[in-house]
Amino acid sequence: MTAPAGEPGVAIPGTERKAPMGRRLRALRMRWVDDSRFFPQMLVLPVMVFFVIWNIVPTLWMLGMSFYNYSLITGSPPRFIAFDNYVDLFSSTSVWLALSKTFVFVLGAVGIETALGLFLGFLFWGSTTMPGRRLALTLLFAPMILTPAATGTFFRLIYEPTFGVANHLVVRLFGKEINFLGDRSWAMFSVLVVDVWMWTPFMILITLAALGSVPKAELEAADVDGLPWIRRIRHVILPHAKFIIMLGILLRTIDSFKVMDLILQLTRGGPGNTTEVVGLMLFRKAFEGFTMGWSAALAVIALLIAIAFTSIYLFILNLSREERGLAR
Amino acid sequence: MRRLRQATYHVVLWLVAIVFFLPILWIILAAFKTKDDLLAVPVKWEFSPTFENFVALFHRHDFFSSLQNSFVISATAVVVAIAVSFLAAYCFSRFRPASTDFLMFILLSIRMVPAAAAVVPVFLMYTALGWKDTFWGVTLFYAMFSIPFSVWILKGFIDGISPRYDETGLVNGGSRLHVIFRVVLPQVRPGLIAAFIFNLIFVWNEFLFNFIIGGRKTTMIPVSLVTGSLAQGGVDWVFVASLASVYLLPPVVAIYFFQKYLLVGMTFGTVRGEV
Repeated sequence: MTAPAGEPGVAIPGTERKAPMGRRLRALRMRWVDDSRFFPQMLVLPVMVFFVIWNIVPTLWMLGMSFYNYSLITGSPPRFIAFDNYVDLFSSTSVWLALSKTFVFVLGAVGIETALGLFLGFLFWGSTTMPGRRLALTLLFAPMILTPAATGTFFRLIYEPTFGVANHLVVRLFGKEINFLGDRSWAMFSVLVVDVWMWTPFMILITLAALGSVPKAELEAADVDGLPWIRRIRHVILPHAKFIIMLGILLRTIDSFKVMDLILQLTRGGPGNTTEVVGLMLFRKAFEGFTMGWSAALAVIALLIAIAFTSIYLFILNLSREERGLAR
Repeated sequence: MRRLRQATYHVVLWLVAIVFFLPILWIILAAFKTKDDLLAVPVKWEFSPTFENFVALFHRHDFFSSLQNSFVISATAVVVAIAVSFLAAYCFSRFRPASTDFLMFILLSIRMVPAAAAVVPVFLMYTALGWKDTFWGVTLFYAMFSIPFSVWILKGFIDGISPRYDETGLVNGGSRLHVIFRVVLPQVRPGLIAAFIFNLIFVWNEFLFNFIIGGRKTTMIPVSLVTGSLAQGGVDWVFVASLASVYLLPPVVAIYFFQKYLLVGMTFGTVRGEV
């Protein structure tokens, strides 16, 4: 990498090529870059600046704040209370309730999305010759590239109890009105439906990618051998496809754990607290209750959970790279 | 017989795609209804389309400012982010400093943190420093927001280019910057396009941070959409529907044209392949 001949300007006589004026000038001006021992550091420096200002500083700020009793409403200066916020957090029933709701949400959303996504992914597997495939896939994948803040809005219109189309259809079919977002027993279900609608396409995409990673030759061999479908999936497809599917499921788990703006837009955690998941609770405590110290403590916990998730994700990613012989 | 089966199969696939698009179609249709048609009970299936909602939307004073904010802020942020990330990704891929794995891990974990947790400290910092509702405060935050994804995706693409190219360039008297920008850069074009398009979509879509650290001067479309739909005393649904239709056009058009980058875009550049 540091070949001596790589020094610009030290041209070997006779090999000198006529470079355009502009390029020669730049080579001249940038010698301080080329000769620097700290070239790699220079390359990372801009990212590090961003990183320190927008991540390290706020994170330390948050960590510090989590040891204080600080409310934006009272206007009194932050008061140091050590670990009281954390103690309060772990003994608070509403936190555990929110956690259990998040768990239900994650389990329901990821479970349904995976099952439906795998099924539809298999269905779309042989679609390469389909007319208008690009347009069809655009329609199919549209839900996941729109922001939950917007899709939540769409579904507010659809779920609207008086003139919403969902209720209209339900009354037609079952002759009974349902207040999808306002009814305690239906709210969580209605929110789940929206999440499933948004993210099933993602699992379809993942399944298609996973199926695409299965070598054609092995599939043809299975064809020739007349392998039954169950065994074909188990012995031919799964060994190749499992990592991508696992990464997809994990990504969905992390993202549904993070869910917040969708529910904020649909129900604001209501009715009562029936749909108040951890992300939403954090938001409401911080920006509706303005209890900054307490929210910072909860945010620290969420951060730790996120780091744990990331480790698992990277672990599986490395496994899959080793499997494919891509380990670098 | 075979052709019939093939045709049925394709019809089924199209139906699935359309079913997933229906809720979006519904909001687009709503944008073409008059207020009375939209609020009609029972739901009206037939109506004569009107463009009045869009005319009214274009006459609102806050519409063009939020549209402009959305475009300018997301484009600026993404360009800054990609320029910075490309250099870092090149460094991580070629020089592999000792901290590479750790830094890549940290960058990935930024994506995994719940937005609500990340917004609290940023809010505290921005209020203390007075950066709230300033163009550069919001834009540079979004640049940071786009950096982790860009670094991951670009590192993947640069890893795929043999270091032989770099060596050849250096041996032949190219400067290091020449190697980076004239030798490596042209070869990672797909990565740059994917990073650019998806970061644009993500920033275009971002709601929470804009809601918290933005303000009147830096409102972007998703925030106007949400504040519009949470209006006190009756939501102006025709406004919300027409704004939503304008909002969703760019991302949907983008994934039509850049479909082959969708996978790499949605998985943080960790999974590659064609759909």
